Amino acid sequence: MNSNWQTEIKAVFLKEWRTEMRSLSGILTSLLFSVVTVYAIGFAALSTKLHGTVIAGMLWVALLFSASSSLTRSFLVEEEQGTADLLRLVARPHAVFWGKALFNIFQNLVTSVILSVLYLGFTAATVTMPWLFVVSLVAGCLSLTGAVTLCGAIAAQAANRSMLSAAISVPLLLPLVALGVSGMRISLGDGSWASGGMASVVGLIGYATATLATGPYIFAAVWKS
Amino acid sequence: MLKVDRLGKKYSGRWIFRGLSFELGLGDRLVILGRNGSGKSTLLKTLSGLTERTEGTITFPEGDLRHVLGLSALEQSVYAQLTVAEHLQLTADLRSCPARVDELLQFIELGYAKDVPAGQLSTGMKARLRMAMAIQAKPKLLLLDEPGAGLDEAGRNLVDKITSEQAQRGCLIVATNDPLERRLATLELQLAD
Repeated sequence: MNSNWQTEIKAVFLKEWRTEMRSLSGILTSLLFSVVTVYAIGFAALSTKLHGTVIAGMLWVALLFSASSSLTRSFLVEEEQGTADLLRLVARPHAVFWGKALFNIFQNLVTSVILSVLYLGFTAATVTMPWLFVVSLVAGCLSLTGAVTLCGAIAAQAANRSMLSAAISVPLLLPLVALGVSGMRISLGDGSWASGGMASVVGLIGYATATLATGPYIFAAVWKS
Repeated sequence: MLKVDRLGKKYSGRWIFRGLSFELGLGDRLVILGRNGSGKSTLLKTLSGLTERTEGTITFPEGDLRHVLGLSALEQSVYAQLTVAEHLQLTADLRSCPARVDELLQFIELGYAKDVPAGQLSTGMKARLRMAMAIQAKPKLLLLDEPGAGLDEAGRNLVDKITSEQAQRGCLIVATNDPLERRLATLELQLAD
């Protein structure tokens, strides 16, 4: 990657950072959703000892909707506010995708870590394989960000953006959720590394690599159409 | 510098324009006239690549289109949270060209608003910012859509200054329905309804 690409990607990242830090719309939406979800689950399970699979499933539901509620907006908002044409005139599509994807990864990692800490605290869950939990969380965040960013990027060009974004997300996110829940479940003591932990981690890393590597090319194909 | 050959654009089965051919050389200033809805803005968007053409060819001056072409359009939005200076830095970084922030702000007489978020700018100030971003890379082809809209007398003088400067380094196309802006033309193109 030459210095021009780095400068261009950094410029898009900085633009995202500045607009987000000054409006706080995406981070506040994610955090609000996270806190309410954790509170609701914690309250519902107040006197119940939850099974590892249920805890992992609930955590992934929260992670998924927290990411979906804010990250898909990064491309849609450019079209809705009419700034997309400015980017089309001066930027290369790969730089736009990578700049936005990197900012989304940062934002999703921050909110996911906060969400997970709160969630584990409220549900009093015991993490038997902390390293697997961390690896599943990080790889899950990367995969989730790649998939959700890609959905937003494709749907942003369409007239009925929100509906299309949701329709594309379902087939892309279902296998990801299955892998993510499996990795988390095992880290919470419901299974072993050999019986599925390794497959989940490899699957999540492969999924993240696939979406982030093909994303810029798919985005470039729809960017000016 | 610019050659347009049998250019056509169709929307929902209706031709907005068709069979449009012209050639511009150094110093040419083409003013496109026509009523609202006649396709002036669509023509500029088609020339800039923001809208795909249905038929015909466009031959641009050689080079990276991000440097060769500048567009300032009325409907082009700016980022409400970014300051004027941050806009110019962003477009320069993305185009890989010098930002010339102070020079451009002095030229468009917006130096006093350097650190003001674009969301707090008036319509005329936003128009000046759009023009600054359009001329930042010193393009050979400059496209201006209704450049005088929302501008006061000083703003209209600025448009005159930009068009004169552009004529020395390349060519210019202005889309307008303001008869006063015919003063900018060395060539005219009237779009039929």
